[in-house]
This record gives sequence, C-alpha cells and structure tokens, in this order.
Amino acid sequence: MPKFLKRNFLRNIFNKLIGKDKKLKIGLYGHPNSGKTTLANTMTNDWLGKPIGLISEIPHETRRVYRQERVKIEYDDVELDFDIVDTPGIATKIDYKNFLQFGLSEQEAKERAKEATKGIIEAIKWLDDVTGVLLVVDATQDPLTQANITIMGNLEARKIPFVIVANKIDLPEASAERITSVFPQHTVVPISALHGENTGDLYQAMVEKFN
Amino acid sequence: MDSSDTNALKMDFVSSEALKESSSMEKISMIVDKVKEGDLLVIEGGLTPAEEAELIETTMREIDIENFVGIDIYTLEKDKSSFFGLSKKKAIGITIIGPANVMKTVKKRENFLSMIANLGDSGASLH
Repeated sequence: MPKFLKRNFLRNIFNKLIGKDKKLKIGLYGHPNSGKTTLANTMTNDWLGKPIGLISEIPHETRRVYRQERVKIEYDDVELDFDIVDTPGIATKIDYKNFLQFGLSEQEAKERAKEATKGIIEAIKWLDDVTGVLLVVDATQDPLTQANITIMGNLEARKIPFVIVANKIDLPEASAERITSVFPQHTVVPISALHGENTGDLYQAMVEKFN
Repeated sequence: MDSSDTNALKMDFVSSEALKESSSMEKISMIVDKVKEGDLLVIEGGLTPAEEAELIETTMREIDIENFVGIDIYTLEKDKSSFFGLSKKKAIGITIIGPANVMKTVKKRENFLSMIANLGDSGASLH
C-alpha cells in the first residue's frame, strides 16, 4: 500500500478508536523544576517550530496552565494529534524563603509563592480534563515523593493513560534505573528534554500509549 | 498545641476506626486544622488518591506565606494479600502528616521511616 494511503488508513482507524469528537489533551505533570516546560518546548519546537513557555532555574516558573493546541507528532507513519497542557509543578509546600537564594526580593518571592499556590490548584483541577499524561520526573532526585504518588494514584483511579518521563539523563547524577525499579509496572522513558536526547523513544511511547 | 510552647511537638495518633465514619471533607479539614496548629498526625491507613489531591488543594488555599508553608506527607506500606492470598498488593499501613517547617529531615526505606523534627532552636528525633 502506498505510504500516504497507509497513513490515511491508520489515521482513520485512530480517529475511530478515539472517537471523532474526542480531543486528545496531553498534560505535562510533575514536580517544580522537573523539566515540564523544557519538554513542552522541545516537543513544540520539534513539531511546530516554536516554544510554548519560559523556563528558569527558579522553581515554580510556570505558575499557570499553558496550552498549545493541535500538535501533531508522527512515528512509524502513525500520527498523534493533540493539545499540550503544560501545568505548574505540584508540591505539598511552598516557602517563599526558598526563592530568596535565587536573587528575588522578599516581595517578589512572596508574590511568586502566592501565585504558585494558585498554580498548583489549577494543575490539580486539570486532572479532570486531560486524556493522557506525561509525568515528568527529575532523574537526579528520589522519585518516591508524595506529589508523584498522588498524581499517579489519581491517574490510575481515573484510568488516564500515562508515561513516566525520566528527565535530565544528561546529568551525571541521574539514574533512570532508580525510577524504573520503583515503578516497574509503568512505562518509563529516559530522556534529556534540554538536549533532545531520546525524544524519539518518547514519541514512540506516546503514540503507543495514547492511541 | 500551646503557641507559647515552641519547643514542644504534639503528636496525634488516629486509628482507622476513628476515621471510618468521616467523610473525605471531614478528614481533610481535621488534618489541615491540626497541622496548621503545628501538630504531627499519625494515621492508621491512608487517604484515597482523590483525598490526597483534595488535601494538597486545601493546603494550597491555607498557605499564608508567613506562618503556614504547607505540609509533608509520608507513608509506610505493608503487604496486603487478596483473592484468598493468591496475589499480594501493597497497602498503606500508616500515614504521617505534619507541618513542612517542622518535618525537616525524613529518611525513608522499606519498612522504616526516620524523621527529625525541627522545633525552633531545639530538635526532636522520631524513629
């Protein structure tokens, strides 16, 4: 079968599978500074040629939900057409004093903390709307945190498919194996969102998981 | 806890029986109220994922930047046999919830949790 016919054939099957009116909304979830926006930027740069949001080394840079509509990725002639929902990092605590070490004034730090609390509430609310999730985990940190456990528990309870993205594998202290060993029942894809390393594996996993 | 007694840590141990009749909202209100007062809660069993998300949401609404900076939650799991013992699943044995500025250092290994509480100028160790 010619390539374009095969592609249309697969797309039609895919559309039937997900239902015509059902729009895929893939949420990027995880801790603050796990690299969600860096990954969202890598994906939109790869497939749309433009970034989605600002990144920073200061935690809670993303304090509201950003949405990029109609991103199309293609793997093995299968297209995945979806919206990216980049959410603020989820945490159980926010201390404005932690922002002071990044050079923010006390006023700026307090303002950032207040906005961050609202962002976390918004991120949790979006769990009702996403149809798939990339759980972005910093591979240099302990993955067994309450935020990750809560996110995964809610995704499982709501039957929302998800892929665990073990990010920052370019750093020497990173260990994707630690994440795989803690969550052996889930799909874990090691990547470096910053350098675009292994993103092909991630797109393949997304096509398989979210189809 | 008496606010003048800054070097004391109040710990409440709550059995699963005590929470059995409580609604999710009642459980979360009780937890947040106690933790905001500086108490450490040890609960038999755990919260459902929806309750955990609701607890984080409520905590974010209650953070006042100056006095209450949020919570820390840790759980210890236990093996739970089901289907006549044929399959084994992990279930939450106990849940420890406290103010984030008090639960300073927590080390967790399988079947073991160690916490150092930071109480003003002094410290208390719990194992």
